[in-house]
Amino acid sequence: MTTIDARGLSCPQPVLLSLGAMKKLDKGRMEILVDTDTSKENVSRAATSQGWEVKEVLPDEEGYRIAIEKG
Amino acid sequence: MMSGVVLKFLRRKAESAGPKKRGVDYGILVFENTSEVIRAENRLKAAGWSIRVKGPPPEIRTGCDLVIEFPLIEELAVLRALEKAGLRPLEVVPVTSPLLQPVDLFQVKDFGQFLMVRAANMKLTVDKETSLIVNVSGGGCPDIPYLAQEMVGRSLADAPEPRRIGHTLCGYALQLAYVEVRRRCLPS
Repeated sequence: MTTIDARGLSCPQPVLLSLGAMKKLDKGRMEILVDTDTSKENVSRAATSQGWEVKEVLPDEEGYRIAIEKG
Repeated sequence: MMSGVVLKFLRRKAESAGPKKRGVDYGILVFENTSEVIRAENRLKAAGWSIRVKGPPPEIRTGCDLVIEFPLIEELAVLRALEKAGLRPLEVVPVTSPLLQPVDLFQVKDFGQFLMVRAANMKLTVDKETSLIVNVSGGGCPDIPYLAQEMVGRSLADAPEPRRIGHTLCGYALQLAYVEVRRRCLPS
């Protein structure tokens, strides 16, 4: 599964990195790692706006793991 | 003889007037708070004056985080219009030195495919190829999640204007960013 590590990046870079990966993958499942609440919200919103479904958002020690999927 | 002295005085005064843009002298209006700046901006723009909201120059230590730049020649008329609206600036400062130049509120960053414009505390990012808004962030005001929800994923041409759906100063800053992005990305 594709994993994008966007931790440590300032806004809007986590979103731009994720959008690039979504475009490349086109469909399937991928995971995005972020380390702030703002990035979590922004990446989730951007994914939804591109037709991806946010399957789960799991908090971990370093932030969140966002799993998204597109059929 | 007398008119020669007057002319000489006026010429000296004009020469010492300081920085000009496109041959126009500018001044800045300093207000106590940002609400007054917003009201003044609306009033002056509605009256047709060419004004811009900017950040205060380093030399100005009174007032809020925004000032209004205006053509100095219009000072009296501008102050009259503001007075009619119940607005009185704390200071009217002629821009006579580089240290009195107001600061541009916009910060623009080109990420290749994407363009980000930051206005004060708000950032708006668009896809340059499609004109789609891909991110709205910053602020911390309560209406920002709503503004982002309404704007992200929509094109610049179709997205609602932040000033129509926002209710806070963050919404106001986002409007400034939105107008600047449109100016840069959409054909006029």
